[in-house]
Amino acid sequence: MAGKRKPDRADVCIIGAGASGATAAKVLTERGLRVVALERGPWRTKESFGGDELANVNRYNLWPDPLLNPRTHRTSADEDPSVELFCPVPQMVGGGTVHWQGWLPRFTENDFRLRTLVGDVPGATLADWPITYADLEPYYSEVEWAFGVSGQAGANKFESPRSRGYPCPPMPATRYGRAFYEGCRALGYSAFPTPMAALSRPYNGRPETVLSAFAQQHGDPTGTRSSALSVFVPDALKTGRYDLRPESYVREITVDGQGRAKGAVYLDADGDLLEQEADVFLLACGAIESARLLLLSRSGRFPTGLANGSDLVGRNLTLHEYSAAVGVFEEPIYAWAGGGYVAVSSYQFYEHADDRGFVGGCHIAAAGVGIPLPINWSLPSRPLWGAEAKRIDRECFNHSFAVGMVLHDMPQHDNRVELDDRVTDAWGLPVARITLTPHPNDLAQGRWVIDRNAEILDAAGAKQTYRVYPDRITGNCSHQHSTTRMGDDPATSVLNRDCRAHEVDNLYVVDGGPFPTATGANPTLTIMANAWRVAEGIAARRGAPGAD
Amino acid sequence: MNDDAFFDDHQRRTIEAAMARIIPTDDRPGAREAGTIDFLDGYLAGIDRVYAKPDGSGFERLDGKRAAAWRQRIEAVRKTYLAGVEEMDRRSRARFGGAFAALSGEQQDAILTELEQAAPESAAELDQAQATAAWAPVEPAMQQTSAEVDLAFLPLLALHTRQGFYADPVYGGNRDRVGWQLIGFEGPTSLAETHAGRYTTRPFFAEEPIDWETGDRHGR
Repeated sequence: MAGKRKPDRADVCIIGAGASGATAAKVLTERGLRVVALERGPWRTKESFGGDELANVNRYNLWPDPLLNPRTHRTSADEDPSVELFCPVPQMVGGGTVHWQGWLPRFTENDFRLRTLVGDVPGATLADWPITYADLEPYYSEVEWAFGVSGQAGANKFESPRSRGYPCPPMPATRYGRAFYEGCRALGYSAFPTPMAALSRPYNGRPETVLSAFAQQHGDPTGTRSSALSVFVPDALKTGRYDLRPESYVREITVDGQGRAKGAVYLDADGDLLEQEADVFLLACGAIESARLLLLSRSGRFPTGLANGSDLVGRNLTLHEYSAAVGVFEEPIYAWAGGGYVAVSSYQFYEHADDRGFVGGCHIAAAGVGIPLPINWSLPSRPLWGAEAKRIDRECFNHSFAVGMVLHDMPQHDNRVELDDRVTDAWGLPVARITLTPHPNDLAQGRWVIDRNAEILDAAGAKQTYRVYPDRITGNCSHQHSTTRMGDDPATSVLNRDCRAHEVDNLYVVDGGPFPTATGANPTLTIMANAWRVAEGIAARRGAPGAD
Repeated sequence: MNDDAFFDDHQRRTIEAAMARIIPTDDRPGAREAGTIDFLDGYLAGIDRVYAKPDGSGFERLDGKRAAAWRQRIEAVRKTYLAGVEEMDRRSRARFGGAFAALSGEQQDAILTELEQAAPESAAELDQAQATAAWAPVEPAMQQTSAEVDLAFLPLLALHTRQGFYADPVYGGNRDRVGWQLIGFEGPTSLAETHAGRYTTRPFFAEEPIDWETGDRHGR
């Protein structure tokens, strides 16, 4: 420890300062608790971000560097895993919200009871959530109003009941959003402005969001987009009770003689090993890294990993593959306007329907093709090089957009996160090894939805469309869930409905890990709402003698 | 590892000639006019030009593990290029009797086509590489791009040519913004303009707002 004093014990220690960790920190510190946050990445300020596609999209300025933080991936246990940047999320204060464009749709009532709705699906481990939409609704509203979400209540015909609308009106319409809206209208589909982590007007002392082209996968130099870094971290700091320590890499959660979580052992920025003790521990590292940390935390009492007596930690991993149909149009679309993701959405295919031949459904929305900026834009037909490639760049860059889908993939017992037995990260710790194969339902849903998306592009007047069917799950969406599912039965879940580990009564997980199912919508609003709910529960129970 | 350039004269001429086939010059500028070779040569020279400072006032100094990773990456990419130049010349001599840089444009295309077909070890690997790379003939990279250390020579060359043609001019390519002009990207005049919050794409949004129907529903 190089002469360093052991840190003072905290009320709560949160591992991670991204979407879920910062939300929990805001709520807990505002309720008077003293929080220490250990974030493995740097604490970057808005001045360090810029409009640089090469640095941000191609050179890991914000993405994890795969040479330092690799993962491995294989499709089955018989295969040799390959080293890949599988399903990365930025590791820094603010996490993925630093570089996202922030689509924040709510889940619907049926998302919380899919198994009841459709029964068992062979090969899948469907489960109802132990909480309902109504349980979460007040927290959806809290997050939307604290964070600053621009949207339009009532525009989505399929949304579940809301206690109030959005704090800001929808973002201005982009040409790609408008074309999608027209296509939906021609087909009789409901469309709505994608609720976004951006401000369509000044709000809570913050100015209106600047509409740069460098938004998706770029940090925001103006600080005007809504992120954990720009909103919830400052909220928590304002209390004076948030001790946020960047570049503090937790490698193990230790336990005491009673099997309760005792300390977080971490390497600080100087490379010194320290232990932070606390009454309560929250894991908020993202579903892959939180599972990895539990598996790294082995002890006599928990020889296969902390809270893993059930052998369920890391299993049932779901990832939301992103895919799209792509349309080329006569008129200019300028899909880079606003960064490519100031979007219009539809839940027309979100709810399950018995006549489609698959279970579930998903959110679709209009967006640029991939990252619709000069370097990274492409079309499915584009050759790698030569005159034809140049012609396509020249003629189609400004005339194309995509209708994307967020695949509602099925949880499966053998799709899982484990520790790799050969590959280590730059700190010498085993990396997460992902074993994952798509369920037939995933592929069927992907084909069906992409076909519908192409029809919307046709109806919007596309002169040519391409259908990119998701035929494997590559983790390209950077959404991660279900590795520490919540449920009422300790035999089939890792956490209880409060997101407290069944086996360790002062240990919580608040990222996407607790989700019993992936659902078909972008998860971060629900992750933040659930983290808010869990944090309120912790604060409330600490008011009662003997709790926590 | 910190000079201004990496290639010797022959290597530079060879790669520049190949880049001029990747994005050829026609009635509009191509890789040659954009200076993509300067972009690449500067990149391979060391780790001093990896990240521009976000206000455009120079380049970030890397240290610690991050610097080590970039040294490792640049070293791997250099090896791919050196082997690639040798391979292009070997194939050029065998098929057309001269070094690559001395061939006609059509002959150079034939050599690049050979390399493209020969590069990947298996079709599945090609699919995988293409699906995750930015140039993606099979399908566009939907969210993430490839790790360049994993790419074979020709896809790497195509990727870097594209980067040098379309990246912010601060990196030495996209000279006079010829890349952005070719495709009609109305980018900022400088990194500083974006950094200061002055760059906006608002003029490229829809002219008419959408009149959202909200029905007779709860909670507005």
